[in-house]
Amino acid sequence: MSNPTVQLSASRETALRLQRRRRFRMNIPLLVMFSPILVYFILFKYVPMGGLIIAFKQYNLADGILGSPWTGLDNFRLLFNSPMMVTIIKNTFVISILSVLVSFPFPILLAILLNEVRGMVYKRTIQTLVYLPHFLNWVIIGSFVVLIFAQEQGVINKIISALGGEKIQFLYNKSTWLGVFLGSGIWKEAGFGAIIYLAALGNIDPSLYESSSIDGANKLRQMWHITIPGIAPVIILMLILSMEHVMDVGFDQIYVLKNPMVGDIANVISVWSYEVGLGRGQFSITTALGFFQSLVGLVLVLTANKIARKFGQGLW
Amino acid sequence: MRTSLGEKIFYGVNAFLLGLLGISCILPILHIVSLSLSSEHAVMSGFVGLWPVGFTTDSYKLLIEGTNIVNAFKNSVVITVVGTALNILFTILAAYPLSRTYFYWRKPLSLLIVFTMLFTAGLIPSYLLIKSLGLVNSYGALWLPALVSVYNLLVLKTFFENIPGELEDAARIDGCSETRLIMQIMLPLSMPVIATLVLFYAVGHWNSFFNVMIYINSSDKHNLTVLVQQMIMNSQLAQQVTEGQFSDDLTQSVTPQSIQSAGVIAMLLPMLIVYPFLQKYFVKGVMIGSIKG
Repeated sequence: MSNPTVQLSASRETALRLQRRRRFRMNIPLLVMFSPILVYFILFKYVPMGGLIIAFKQYNLADGILGSPWTGLDNFRLLFNSPMMVTIIKNTFVISILSVLVSFPFPILLAILLNEVRGMVYKRTIQTLVYLPHFLNWVIIGSFVVLIFAQEQGVINKIISALGGEKIQFLYNKSTWLGVFLGSGIWKEAGFGAIIYLAALGNIDPSLYESSSIDGANKLRQMWHITIPGIAPVIILMLILSMEHVMDVGFDQIYVLKNPMVGDIANVISVWSYEVGLGRGQFSITTALGFFQSLVGLVLVLTANKIARKFGQGLW
Repeated sequence: MRTSLGEKIFYGVNAFLLGLLGISCILPILHIVSLSLSSEHAVMSGFVGLWPVGFTTDSYKLLIEGTNIVNAFKNSVVITVVGTALNILFTILAAYPLSRTYFYWRKPLSLLIVFTMLFTAGLIPSYLLIKSLGLVNSYGALWLPALVSVYNLLVLKTFFENIPGELEDAARIDGCSETRLIMQIMLPLSMPVIATLVLFYAVGHWNSFFNVMIYINSSDKHNLTVLVQQMIMNSQLAQQVTEGQFSDDLTQSVTPQSIQSAGVIAMLLPMLIVYPFLQKYFVKGVMIGSIKG
């Protein structure tokens, strides 16, 4: 005697089993494909994280990472008790927060202005030009900076002295150096950063502009009430992403632009790690400093994301 | 729609400002080109603007004969070409499995990878790893740690995910294998993104500076960036070239500044040549990247 329901469920079961087996078979090539990547990430990203333990040790070459004696939190105590270290940490914070905050609005502004250009050919040309600096490295830009701001041969000082003014030591003065530092960063990245905002601007419904203009709104009002709210999600997203860089002043820019005269403010974690950590073999304390830097960076991104989630804009 | 007077003024001012900005991005390059092509007298007296004064190519001749820039150029090309090829291969290998919804470990593996974007071990532990792997002073130290950029991986993964599933289903019904699916359907469809990634990876390798400085000790393995930076930082080096082993008229007509400028141009030129061709791709690529991964 055959029971139709039992038969049905049995056949469904075989179908399920077949499907599962098929899915497993489909997974094999994917796993094979992915395994080298997995090895890569474990070896080159996670193994060094294990190496962070030397922040809690007195590392020496002879004993290696595992053999060196433990010192607990001594390295960290040393970090926060040494005035020089505190200065370095403070410099890193100041310079990176300034570069994130000061340079953040520029790509947005640039995108809004580019969006208002009438002639397509003209717009394309300008875009091509402003994206270009992103692809130049800091060695090239550093040589531009010297050409423009140097004391004797610099273009600006030549103009100043031709007009009868006094030459300015742009690169040896702390405040002007900081200005040059921030300005060069903006010059390099603002154009490229505008691409994402331009994409967002392209998604705003044009009928909003038409109806507002019928209602008599001028350009400024339109920007304030349509453009900015229209791209707000992207702005918040980019702000979270930029939090990642708050503790991380890139090495190249500082290294290329700094000089002994501005050491007081230009000494940051990345450069110090290179010069003292690698250069003079101070591995343990440098690792402790790097660890601290990475942790603060992580906390900042997580916090920013949490705040953004409150507005429904989180990354995850 | 008619434009009012206020709007006309707005468009005019806007176009003017953006024009200035665009020019500011190209002026320094023009200036440095003309410095590298100008005579010693003109450079010293500061007459050189955007056009070479007293045109001469001597600084390039000296640069090629007096420094190992040709070798550094070769090194830069090797680092870039091999590095980019490895990057692209491994980014595809990583992005494809993660983009498949039926991949069992898709979630945990994505998490494992994204976490490396948020937290890194820092300089010293990474350096010690490279050292213990015996990679110091070999290009492996430049290629291997940077094999996959997580950001680029997410861009490609997002793109793969957005390729219509019907294409894949149809191919599978026809008995297409995974490899063929990737080679004949997924990759040809993703050429614009892959072109973008090629550009990003290649520019990264071409510009690499810090890693070369810390991992490559012998100067005959240095790339252009490090060589030119040394010439700029240490003017004596450039001076030596202009004074040193050359006693003929060549050295009379060149200043260290021209030599340095010529070095910068050597670094810039390949990029300027490739850039216009790839521009339309990378704009698209960045926009895909803006979709959250």
